[in-house]
Amino acid sequence: MSEQPFAGVRVLDFAHEWAASIGPRLLGDLGAEVIRVEYAPRMCVIRGARLGKRMYNRHPRWHQVNRNKRSLTLDLKKEKDLQAFLDLVRISDIMVSNSRPHVLDRLGIAYDDLKKVRPDIILVLMSAFGTGGPWSSFAGFGGTIEPLSGLQQLTAYSRDGKRYRTREMDVCNGLMGACAIMTALLHRQRTGEGQFVDLSQMETATHSLMGEHLLEYVMNGRQTLPLGNRHPYHAPQGCYPCRGEDRWVTLTVRTDEEWRALCGLIGRPDWTDDERFAGRVGRRRHHDLIDRAIGEWSSGLEHYRAMELLQEAGIPSGAVLDGRDLQEDAHLEARNYFMTAEDGDGALFPGLLFRSSAGNGRIFRRGPDLGEGNEYVLHGLLGRPRQEIEPLDEKSIGTGYDPE
Amino acid sequence: MTERALGHLRVIDLTHHVAGPYCTKLLAGFGAEVIKVERPGSGDPLRGMGPFYQGVEGPERSIPFLWLNTGKKSITLDLKSDRGREILCRLVRDADVLVENFSPRVLPALGLAWQRLQEINPSLVMASISNYGQDGPYRDYKGDEISLYAMSGLMNETGDPGREPLRAGPALAQYSAGMCAYSAILAALHRRQQTGKGEHLDISIQEASLVNIEMGLVESLQLGTVRRRTGDQHSMMPWQHYECADGEVAVISGPIRHWRKAKKIFDEPRLFQDKYDHCLVRRFLRDEYEEILRPCVKKFRKKELFHAGQEQGLAFAYLATLEEAVELPQHRARGFFQEVDHPVVGRHAYCGAPFRMSATPWRQERAPLLAEHNAEVYGRLLGFSDGEIQAMEEEGIL
Repeated sequence: MSEQPFAGVRVLDFAHEWAASIGPRLLGDLGAEVIRVEYAPRMCVIRGARLGKRMYNRHPRWHQVNRNKRSLTLDLKKEKDLQAFLDLVRISDIMVSNSRPHVLDRLGIAYDDLKKVRPDIILVLMSAFGTGGPWSSFAGFGGTIEPLSGLQQLTAYSRDGKRYRTREMDVCNGLMGACAIMTALLHRQRTGEGQFVDLSQMETATHSLMGEHLLEYVMNGRQTLPLGNRHPYHAPQGCYPCRGEDRWVTLTVRTDEEWRALCGLIGRPDWTDDERFAGRVGRRRHHDLIDRAIGEWSSGLEHYRAMELLQEAGIPSGAVLDGRDLQEDAHLEARNYFMTAEDGDGALFPGLLFRSSAGNGRIFRRGPDLGEGNEYVLHGLLGRPRQEIEPLDEKSIGTGYDPE
Repeated sequence: MTERALGHLRVIDLTHHVAGPYCTKLLAGFGAEVIKVERPGSGDPLRGMGPFYQGVEGPERSIPFLWLNTGKKSITLDLKSDRGREILCRLVRDADVLVENFSPRVLPALGLAWQRLQEINPSLVMASISNYGQDGPYRDYKGDEISLYAMSGLMNETGDPGREPLRAGPALAQYSAGMCAYSAILAALHRRQQTGKGEHLDISIQEASLVNIEMGLVESLQLGTVRRRTGDQHSMMPWQHYECADGEVAVISGPIRHWRKAKKIFDEPRLFQDKYDHCLVRRFLRDEYEEILRPCVKKFRKKELFHAGQEQGLAFAYLATLEEAVELPQHRARGFFQEVDHPVVGRHAYCGAPFRMSATPWRQERAPLLAEHNAEVYGRLLGFSDGEIQAMEEEGIL
């Protein structure tokens, strides 16, 4: 097995919450050393709202989102800690942050500050609205970006119905963060040149999910979506009830051949040559009628069974899976998708983003306890004498939920 | 000449539809030479799918195609012919990356499996994107976006609890996989720089999308909890849309610790009683809290409340129309939309860079016409004469 793709790369993870945590985590899966810098008096919200029993170290979501990372607690408003941070920058390759740009300026860790101590450093700053422009200092979560980007206009049961949020666009921004990190790292590996990457999550969400839809709006002055569960082109497409509570199967008919197969499967062979359903245009016109017939057929079947029958008939389909289904899913099981952390207690984690013939990513460790890496970083990497490293003061710890 | 981050790379692009083309669009935008190999005659099936420019069908008018294939070169090649496969192998010899999103049996059946391509070019990075991955019981399963969204656990959580699950408008599963494939390729190139060796990457759209629900999924695995649709009621509160005087506003109480600052926005002391001080308590009192909140929101116009919230450091937003989304002052100030000219559909504003690199900027170009680069690639790159190219076109190989 080859060496991990990012072995020898050190990442300073100055993220808060979810989106910006994903890129560094992916690098950690692929062999980079990732150091998450935390501020103990106001921990990341993913560490939860409770202090008792050190609950902030116990949340599976933290263990997942920040797996393969070390935790270093610093208070950058203290001179000593800021110096430690800059010393760490000097031996790091890349820093990732989702702070608003002026926050890094204020803390003295903006790109120019970093470059002074490490000329070829990469900074990927994935703020909500980017650097520059009237909204640069505005705050943004997924719930902010979805409505402003137009994204939320496209998801609804009907054209004029209530607009819904999608699940979960934070991660799309996180994945684009990973793309940005790797693009900059590859360039640096080849040329030795670092750079500043200005990623606006507003723009990323727009690019990765809205590009074709906004282009349609720009070109045609209109937008085809939302269409509920229907397809703008193929028909029928929908989500149909199955046996049991809240059980569903989806399908799409893309060709006349698939339509004939569907008619046979749902017991309507007479519809095969029915003029009303000729071509996708005809089927779109009579979509309600077709939906009722499919629903009558599917409601007697378990969702997995309905999917299997549809797939056997050559029709694209999928069961609507929930967390328990996924956990027991035969395909994910066969692909060994779920994994345990190598140094862990056997707890299962969602697996890797991709596989490789040269060796897969790994889950070395679950997300770290608060300050778990303080001694490793301050003494081991930076050579501070052990006795100068203050133990984490439990009384100083606060959650991201505490009202100010 | 401006330096591009991926300007040293040549990519053979055998992809079609969404996931693969978005991946190679990113590769092209950051500078790679992407040669898109299309079926002679009709090209990428997406060329035949709408919506079309001005509603008129045509291979150069498909809006999703025009978006997903910017910056690439287009050649036609019949991979079902021996001659076509031989030519592809010649292209592979000098390529850095090959990306494909056929269903898993297609390339091996054509004699173009990874094992074969690797013999031709041991440093090739090959990325295979498929619905469910290269192996496992679902590997031959067909799927459109709705099925992939369903099988990735996303759809179960989208929509209203009392209704059927709802698919997201945008192709979230496929776009997630496109970004995932881009990362996988760059990781492999980073490794290749050290080892000199290529590798084969297996990107399952299902697995790439599962990361979208990683928090809920890990809780299912470790705590046994199962998420249901909530109709967008967030566990934090308030964190959703409410009707205002001229539309809808997202009242987001985040950063959570700052919610008390909303006192300066809403002239309603009941909202800030001690019993409502903690967001995790507020959510259990959702109905009574919303009863107080709704009339307060109703008094504002959407942009007015958005700015009032942001002034207090709260991440408010408004439900933008598509027109407003294109015209956001922030987009305009940053020049996010950039015009691109195209010989058939003309000049229009497309989204620009997905992220901005100070040293190696994005390249904003148009999508290619079908077979536009046959002469360049087959002539200049592979050394075929005009006569040979014409003969191959007549035989249907190109």
